[in-house]
Amino acid sequence: MLLEAVLTGAVRGGTSILYAALGEVVAERSGVINLGTEGCMLSGALAAYIVGVRTGNPWAGAAAGLAAGALLALVFAGVVIGRRANQLAVGLVVSFLGLGLTSLFGQAYVGQGVEAFSRVPVPLLADLPLVGTVLFQHDPLTYLSFVAAPAVWWMLFRTKTGLRVRAAGERPEVLDAFGISAARVRCAAVVAGGALAGLGGAQLSTAFALNWSENMTVGRGFVAVALVIFAAWHPLRAVGGAYLFAGALALQLQLQARGVDVNRYLLESLPYLTVLVILAVMSRHRLHHGPEALAKVFDG
Amino acid sequence: MSQVAPPAARDAEPPEGHDTTWRDGLVRAPESARRRLAAAASAALPGAARWTAVIGAGVVVYAVFLALQGASPFAVLRAMAVSAAGSQTAIAETLVRATPLLLAALAVAVPARAGLFNIGGEGQLLMGAVSAMGAARLLDGALPPPLSLIALALAGVAGGALWALVVGVLRVFSSTSEAISSLLLNYVAGLVLTWLVFGPWKDPGSLGQAYSRSLEGPERLPILWGHRFHLGVLIALAVAVGVWLLLRQTSWGFQLRIVGGNPEAARRAGLRVGELHLGALLLGGALAGLGGMVELAGVEARLRPDMLFGFGFVGFLASWLARHHALKAVAAAVVLGAIAVGGNGLKLASGLSGSAVNILMAVLLLAVLGWAPGRSR
Repeated sequence: MLLEAVLTGAVRGGTSILYAALGEVVAERSGVINLGTEGCMLSGALAAYIVGVRTGNPWAGAAAGLAAGALLALVFAGVVIGRRANQLAVGLVVSFLGLGLTSLFGQAYVGQGVEAFSRVPVPLLADLPLVGTVLFQHDPLTYLSFVAAPAVWWMLFRTKTGLRVRAAGERPEVLDAFGISAARVRCAAVVAGGALAGLGGAQLSTAFALNWSENMTVGRGFVAVALVIFAAWHPLRAVGGAYLFAGALALQLQLQARGVDVNRYLLESLPYLTVLVILAVMSRHRLHHGPEALAKVFDG
Repeated sequence: MSQVAPPAARDAEPPEGHDTTWRDGLVRAPESARRRLAAAASAALPGAARWTAVIGAGVVVYAVFLALQGASPFAVLRAMAVSAAGSQTAIAETLVRATPLLLAALAVAVPARAGLFNIGGEGQLLMGAVSAMGAARLLDGALPPPLSLIALALAGVAGGALWALVVGVLRVFSSTSEAISSLLLNYVAGLVLTWLVFGPWKDPGSLGQAYSRSLEGPERLPILWGHRFHLGVLIALAVAVGVWLLLRQTSWGFQLRIVGGNPEAARRAGLRVGELHLGALLLGGALAGLGGMVELAGVEARLRPDMLFGFGFVGFLASWLARHHALKAVAAAVVLGAIAVGGNGLKLASGLSGSAVNILMAVLLLAVLGWAPGRSR
């Protein structure tokens, strides 16, 4: 069934983007836009893959992916927050750094098999019609993302930590006046965001694609940044955005597999165009609803 | 980061009509304030010394990285220098490589003057190359030598500008972030190229690999020296000077800088901010499009799927290295072009992948963005 296959693909393929988008929501809520997300995802994907190959344990790989994403985000945070350099420029450079590092270290691992996350159907629920296949026959990292989105929401809107993160994005001077360093809060938010992006990369390489290839994220990290605007900096809305993008990807694969005579490359560009069109339609005045410190970045 | 104009400029009431002296004041005031700040900041270390220290630190970090990879940093850096500048051929190769980078850098620099982030250089380069090839296929050798090249160049310019037009229209009419939209369009442009070379434009003789037909004789940029140094190198240089003059000497260039400095003040002064933004992005796209055409007609001759990969990003780095100054962009493009060409030496000396030079570029840029004197946006 086409619908079932597309929805299943949307969830499975959207998980990596969802993690990255959740991480970016946290970072942007603190007032920092991290275009280095693409690089964090790539390094997470490779680190998870290498550790997965070496240890045969995908969970060790996921932890490595988390750490690699956090580490690259730390570089970004150091230059942007520590040295007050331009966020967008540094973010892009960090993505470029991630691309360079992963194509260098990943060379030896192209085509190597990895001990991947296996799919674990949830008992009972997996047998439900449609919903069972779409939601409950996935890898553990995908299940974890079902929990991660509400968890990030709860952290941001129901905890003191979240209040601090949001304050750093809206009124950093108030935070500073309370004796809490806004810079430190931002740094923590960015690093946590990078860790989530790294975990997303780990899902991509060790649970979804099951291989490593150079530049394998092909813009998923940048798409995640775009989706955060689309989601109006809301973690739960990011879920919809991530699945929409991946759904467009899955639709393309399904149509191709069914031999539907539509131009393959047009279909492949559909996910990017979808995000672009949605942004264009929804973007008007969107930025003014976002964290205030962010508007300054965008308006240059 | 957002720049703070001194109160005098921000609170100035818009004068009657467009008074250039007032406009000059608006432009120059923040600049001189910035300069004073920069002077104070670099009082400890004079500018040139600080630059040397920053670049040197970047190279040292990279040398440590190479050492950790089991390569001898001195041997590798030496091999890189030799392959980028060790002979006349090497220098020519560096300049040839720098050419599309320079045009891609200018494509970033012009919108940056207006406060915009064009990260779509990659896509605009590709669309320039694609359009130039399209024009060559349409004309099919119907035009005599100089005209055919001019037609190809115009097509490249139009292709790049068209790709940037999408970004500009989205920015001006629906406030879509130009950084995000131009970034996403890079991937779409890549797919357009892939579609053409695997599909309708595939050369029947290309068998397993996919590429388009080759540009022939009069469709190629003439080689001026050796085997690779083509006319496009000089064209790019002339364009850089032209862009510098445009930004420096024309009223349009001044208006761009006002918009980039303080859009609100510009709006109040009666400047058409939307038009200026659109114009800056279009010119940027046109420059990158020319870059794609030059690379196609000067170096590649045919379209292939991974041509120009990463050039847009390196161009972006070059523009930031040059602080969006058109003439300094020439130097920046040559430096990054040299590093890119140095990748050949690195590969031979260390056995590492040539892409390891991208790491050096990124480290240098991080050092410059974070630590160079007089940093501004």
